[in-house]
Amino acid sequence: MRRAFGAFLALALVAGLAVFVARPAPVGAQGGGTIEATVTYAGAPQIQTLKINKDTDKCGTEAKIEKVVVGGNKGLANAVVSVAGMKGETTAKKAEVDQHGCKFVPHVLAMTPGEIEIKNSDGVLHNIHTYSTANPSINKAQPKFKKVMTEKFEKPEIIKLTCDVHSWMLGWVAVMPHPYFGVTDGSGVTKIANVPAGKHTLEVWHETLGKQTKEVEVKAGQVAKVSIEMKK
Amino acid sequence: MRALVSRRGVGGGGPSSTTLVAARLARVGEPCSTTLAATRVAGSQTLASGSPDYTGLAGLRRPARLAACALLSLISLAAGVGQAYGQAGDAQAGKIVYEKKCALCHGEKGDGKGPAADLLDPRPRDFTTGIYKIRTTANKTPTDQDLFTVITHGMPGTFMPGWKVLPEKDRWSLVAYLKTFAPERFKEAPKKQELPKEVASSPESIKRGKEMFEAIECNKCHGAAGRADGPSRPELKDEWGHPIRPANLAKRWNFRGGATRADIAMRLAAGILGTPMPTFIDSVEKPEDIWHLANYIASLGPESPGYATLLSARAVAGDIPDDPNAPFWAGIAPQNVPLVGQVTIEPRNVNPAIDVVTLRAAWNEKEIAFHLAWDDPTRSVQDAVNKTFADAVALQFPRELPTGLERPYFLMGDASDAVYLLRWENGKGGTEAHANGPAKLAPIAGGEVTAKAVYADGQYRLVLKRPLVSKDAARLTFRPGVFTPIAFQAWDGGAGEAGARMSLTSWYYLRLEEPQSSRRFVVPPVVAVLTFVVMVLVGRVARRRA
Repeated sequence: MRRAFGAFLALALVAGLAVFVARPAPVGAQGGGTIEATVTYAGAPQIQTLKINKDTDKCGTEAKIEKVVVGGNKGLANAVVSVAGMKGETTAKKAEVDQHGCKFVPHVLAMTPGEIEIKNSDGVLHNIHTYSTANPSINKAQPKFKKVMTEKFEKPEIIKLTCDVHSWMLGWVAVMPHPYFGVTDGSGVTKIANVPAGKHTLEVWHETLGKQTKEVEVKAGQVAKVSIEMKK
Repeated sequence: MRALVSRRGVGGGGPSSTTLVAARLARVGEPCSTTLAATRVAGSQTLASGSPDYTGLAGLRRPARLAACALLSLISLAAGVGQAYGQAGDAQAGKIVYEKKCALCHGEKGDGKGPAADLLDPRPRDFTTGIYKIRTTANKTPTDQDLFTVITHGMPGTFMPGWKVLPEKDRWSLVAYLKTFAPERFKEAPKKQELPKEVASSPESIKRGKEMFEAIECNKCHGAAGRADGPSRPELKDEWGHPIRPANLAKRWNFRGGATRADIAMRLAAGILGTPMPTFIDSVEKPEDIWHLANYIASLGPESPGYATLLSARAVAGDIPDDPNAPFWAGIAPQNVPLVGQVTIEPRNVNPAIDVVTLRAAWNEKEIAFHLAWDDPTRSVQDAVNKTFADAVALQFPRELPTGLERPYFLMGDASDAVYLLRWENGKGGTEAHANGPAKLAPIAGGEVTAKAVYADGQYRLVLKRPLVSKDAARLTFRPGVFTPIAFQAWDGGAGEAGARMSLTSWYYLRLEEPQSSRRFVVPPVVAVLTFVVMVLVGRVARRRA
C-alpha cells in the first residue's frame, strides 16, 4: 500500500513537472516578429488653451488641452495601437503615471491589468478622478504630501483620468488584455515586439479621432511596417 | 427607534427572502449566543457585540435561558419574516408612491428629467445611473438605510424636501423601487465605510484640523474660510457635465448629508459620488485627522442659522464706527435673516445665490447704522463684456412709519404705495431711492446715506449709515421704540442676478431699543424694601389687635 502511494506520488510529481516544462514559452522567443506602426492624421492639430488662475508656480500660466497632437510627416501622437484578439501574460513592469506641471505624464498610457502607480510630483493637491465602467471608478484626493498612490485596474477598458482641482488635466489609461500594444510617440510611431507570426488585425484608438483597424502580416524575425491613417 | 431602523436597514444588497430570513435568524441568535456565553450578564448591560440585549434574557438562568432563547427565536423568526419584508420595502408599492410624489422632478423613468427638472439647480438625481451622493459605504453602492435617510430628511440646500410626512413603510417601499432603476448598480453589496476612532472637538483638535485643511488644500474649492469661493469653483462639473458648486462650509445647515460632526467625517471619508468631492480617508496624514478636519469644519459655522423673527437695533451712547471690521460690531448680536428667490414676477429667480443676510444694527441720538454681512463667492461689478452685474444689497422701509398694519407691497412697493430703499452696489456705493415696483426705481437726490464695504474670503461686510431724523419728508425718520417695517433684498451679480432676479424677504419688524436707564437697578429694590416695611407694619398692627 505504502509503495503504491510512493509510486503514485512520484508519478504525480513527474507529471506536474512535465506540465510545467511543456508550458509554451513566451511567443516572441520562438519565431515572433515586430510590428512598426505609423499612425498619421492629415487634419490640423487640436489644442485648446486655458488661462490658469491658481498654482501658477507649478502649473504655469497657460494650460494646453491637447486633443489632437500632430508631429512631423503628419504623425499622430498618443494613439494606442494593439493587436486585436490576442491573449497573453501581463507585463511585469508596473504602470506609472505622474502628475507633473498639472498634466498627466504620459498623456496616454497603455498597460496590462494590474497595479498602477499614480505619482504627484507637483506638490499641490490633485484628485485622481477616473471615469470607467468595467473597473470601479475612483475619486481620491492626492494632497501634496501623498507622493505615490497605488491603484488597481484589473479589467481591460479605456479609462479617462481627470482632476477636478485643475479641470484641464486629462489623461487616458488603456488597460489591455494582452501585452501586444504600444502608444505612438511624437512622430506617430510605435513598435510592438514579439508578435507571433501570422495575420493579425491592428486596432488603433485615439481619444478624439476614435477607432480604426488595419490588417498586418507578421513574419518571424522581421519587422512588419504598417501605416494607418486616422480619419474624422 | 433610529437605532433599530439602522440595524434593520443595513440589509443592503438584493433582498432575497432567504438572505433576509438568514439575517433575521442571525440577529435573533446574536443576543442569545452572547447571553449564553457569558456566565453572568447584568440585565440591561450592552453586550460585547455592541448591540443591546433586546431579548431581556440576560438575567435568566442558563437552562431557562436556552429554552426561552429557542422559543423566542422561533417566534421572532415567524414575526420577523413579515417585518423583514416590510423593511426591505415593496417595489410595487413604492412605484405608486413614486409616481405621486417623486416623478414630477425625478421623472417617471427615474432619469431625473421630470417636468420640473429644468428649473432646479442642483438638478434632481438621475436614478438610472445608480450614483448616489450621500453614502456611508466605501464602494459605490449605498445602503438601504442611506437612501431611506435621504428620503426622510431630504437634501438641505436643495429642492429635495424631507418626506417624514410619508409613512415609514412607504419610504422603505420607495427605497426598494429606486433600486429597480439601476439593478446592475445594486448587485455589489454595500461595503461599510469604517471611520477612525472618534476624536471629540477641542481647541487642539480644531487647530490640527485647520492645519490639515490647509495641507490638503480644501481651499482649492471651498475657499480659505470655507465660503465656497476657491479658485477651482468656476471649473467644477458633476458626473453629467453640469456645473456644480462647492459647499459653503460655514453654512453646514445646508450640508446635503447632514450637519453633525459624524456626518462631516463620513463625507470626508467616503467622498460625494458623482461630484468632484473626492474621498480623503487615505489622503490625510493620520487616520484621526478625518475627525480633526470634521471638528474644524464644524467650528466654521453654527449647526443651525437660528433665524431671527423680530430685529432690533441697539442703542449706544458714543460714535458708531464706519469700518465693518471694527471690533464694535463683534459686540453686537448677529441676527440672521433668510432670503428666498423672487418668483412672483418675471424674470424669476428660482435658484437664488444669497440665502441669508446677517444684520447687526445700532443707533445713537444722531444716526442709525446697519451692519450687513453676506456670503458671495464671486466679487463682481457691472461688466458688459463678461456679462456680470454688480453685487448689491438693499434695505427696504415704508416711506413713513405706518400708523396701522398696512404696509407697502413687499416686492419693492407698487403703483399706489412706494417704498424707501437704502441701497449699496459694488462699484457705486450707497444710494437712496424710492421704488414703485422692481422696475420703477427713483433715486433720491442729496443722499444722506454713507456706505463702507469690505470683501474678503467670499464675504461682504457693509456698514450703511444715515441720520436718524431725515432732513426732508421724502425719507423715513427712524423713531425708537416703534416697530419699523423692514425688508431685505440682495443680488449676486456674478451669478447673473440683477433687477427683479434677486433674493428677498417679506416684511420684518425692526425695533430701535430704547436706551436703558439705570432706574431699573434702583426702582425694584426700593419697591421691595417698601413692601417689606408695609408687611412688617401690617403684621404688627394685626398682632396688637389680637
